Amino acid sequence: MATAPKRQTITNHFLLNVAIVELTKVTKRYGNVLAVENFDLTTKNGEFVVLVGPSGCGKTTTMRMIAGLETVSEGEIKIGGKNVVGMIPRERDVAMVFQNYALFPHMNVFGNMSFGLRLRKLPKEKVESRVKEAATILGIAHLLDRRPKELSGGERQRVALGRAIVREPQVFLMDEPLSNIDAKLRVEMRAEIIKLQRRLGVTTFYVTHDQVEALSMGDRIVVMSKGHVQQIGTPKELYNTPANRFVAGFIGSPSMNFILTKVVEGGTLTAGDNFKIVLPPPMATALETRGLREVWLGVRPEHIRTARNGEAENAIPGVVDVVEPQGASTILQVNVGSDLKVIVQVNEQWGREAGERLRLSIPAESIHLFDPATEQQVSN
Amino acid sequence: MENLLWRNSKWGSKLVAMAIACVALVWVAIPFLWAFNNSIKTEADTFRQGAVIPFLQFTPSLDAWKFVLSDPQALNCLFSSALVGVGTTLFVLILGTPAAYSLARFEFKRMKSRDITLWFLSQRVLPPVVVLTPFYILLAELGLIDTWLGLILLYSTFNLAFCVVIMRDIFRDVSKEVEEAARIEGASLWQIFWMIAVPLSLDGLIVTAFIVFAFCWNEALFASAVTSQHAATMPAFILASRSTRGVDFNQAAVNTLVAIAPPVIMSFFVQRYLARGLSFGAVKG
Ligand SMILES: Nc1ncnc2c1ncn2[C@@H]1O[C@H](COP(=O)(O)OP(=O)(O)OP(=O)(O)O)[C@@H](O)[C@H]1O
Ligand SMILES: [Mg+2]
Repeated sequence: MATAPKRQTITNHFLLNVAIVELTKVTKRYGNVLAVENFDLTTKNGEFVVLVGPSGCGKTTTMRMIAGLETVSEGEIKIGGKNVVGMIPRERDVAMVFQNYALFPHMNVFGNMSFGLRLRKLPKEKVESRVKEAATILGIAHLLDRRPKELSGGERQRVALGRAIVREPQVFLMDEPLSNIDAKLRVEMRAEIIKLQRRLGVTTFYVTHDQVEALSMGDRIVVMSKGHVQQIGTPKELYNTPANRFVAGFIGSPSMNFILTKVVEGGTLTAGDNFKIVLPPPMATALETRGLREVWLGVRPEHIRTARNGEAENAIPGVVDVVEPQGASTILQVNVGSDLKVIVQVNEQWGREAGERLRLSIPAESIHLFDPATEQQVSN
Repeated sequence: MENLLWRNSKWGSKLVAMAIACVALVWVAIPFLWAFNNSIKTEADTFRQGAVIPFLQFTPSLDAWKFVLSDPQALNCLFSSALVGVGTTLFVLILGTPAAYSLARFEFKRMKSRDITLWFLSQRVLPPVVVLTPFYILLAELGLIDTWLGLILLYSTFNLAFCVVIMRDIFRDVSKEVEEAARIEGASLWQIFWMIAVPLSLDGLIVTAFIVFAFCWNEALFASAVTSQHAATMPAFILASRSTRGVDFNQAAVNTLVAIAPPVIMSFFVQRYLARGLSFGAVKG
């Protein structure tokens, strides 16, 4: 799904000029502050790349460097094979959607959407037909005479998108475009943006700090933390094989459980008074060759199985401490022994109670191991 | 908001507020009333003790108005005032607005933008009288005594600093993100200035223009010093008419009213921008 060519001409106007974006060792420093360091990424044709990470990790800075709003301290950015470092935004042919929309308040929707085209001195009829077409795609054709302040948040968002697509840029940059919209509309707009991007097939960078949004939208996701790329991969790769503890904890909700365990001979891990698990042979060997005495065991709450009675093998006894019904599923905080708490998500709606005794079992394929020193994955 | 505040206050405090407003009104209005009253008196009546209420105590006459409005000198001064006012305003805005914008948006290598702004501000702190003589000599050397151009240059020097300092604050209020959006759309620096920054600062710009114009219109000291006949403005004319002919109170009153009228009328038009413009960016629209 992710790599299938998505180029598709919808009309003559939206002829596609798909560009590959290459970032090589891109670094940005503000004085002593290292905002982004050694960012490496090459996009595929018409790919939807999501940058995700906690606040201050350098997502916006990266986008602004691609857009040309910020200079690059080191490294190289190529768009469509051309090195754009040192080019002004106009020459880079990118469009950006800002978090606060950044619409021109003194122009109506038509004025906003046609701004770039008018600057490029396109003939009037052409400007009009392109704006109308984009407005129709976005369902805002009836709003062309309104000023931004007469629009709802969702409508403003559409206008901002419209302003970006009428110019048929080589690259779309979207910096948290949905963060100012209420939850329900956000889900709708997410789907719409994806549909639009598929339709236009323009390489897109999309910033969010919401990992759910990242997983649901991205062809590929770049997870960032403190200015560094932690991992680049498809949603599946990030979820199934996180490269380090940060990615493992950031992707997925509720967050992965991390248990600091002692490595006992024969691939056995123990923690606290009651926690004990036997690793499958390949993992045990992997640990052994590294000679680790301690290791972080990571397991997602939704992968832990529960049994009420003691029939499960490799099972860990626990007592339910807190029950949090989520609607379709339930999240349990389970005490294992006296000093260990494990979060478990069960696909049951109700019927769990605090104080209930359980046996937890962790399937071998859902175990992730991380080196305590480097925090890198050491499962294989 | 204000209405609610008013409605919820006690009648006692309302009374006090009203009383203060009345005193303030009288304080402001009496000079105008006095001027208007005198402008419809004959010269003799202006010196008569009991002539206060028109029709009852004296017969109103339009002689003074007729005299002033048919006096070519007065009309010439009105024209000078208008020309110098408009000329200065345009000149100051054309020079000052881009300067203010660059101070608002860019940092310069050698000097901090804030320091440059402070330097501009310092130009306004100096008492103008101090520079009267140097300016006179300068204008005389350039052959610009008693010319419109001379006055325009002089007034521009004073108002440029004001315009730069005020407009800088107003420009700083324009959303950076909006300007960046324009940049991404392909606008050049000048296009951003003209198509984004100026339209979004129009309220402040209009108010600044009005204040500059009013300054020029009202300025008397320098106008009297560097003009005599040709380029004399209304305030200079009013000052001069007193010293040469003794005091013709009725004509002086007409002159005053004529001189006051344009800024007052203008302020009615500018009013809707004043609230936002005069807050100089403190209130977001
Ligand atoms: N103009 C600047 N001057 C100095 N430091 C800056 C500047 N802009 C950003 N930074 C720093 O660079 C780092 C990255 O900032 P950036 O805005 O890219 O984060 P972000 O990932 O977009 O965060 P958020 O999710 O909060 O938007 C931060 O530590 C920030 O303080
Ligand atoms: Mg950001």
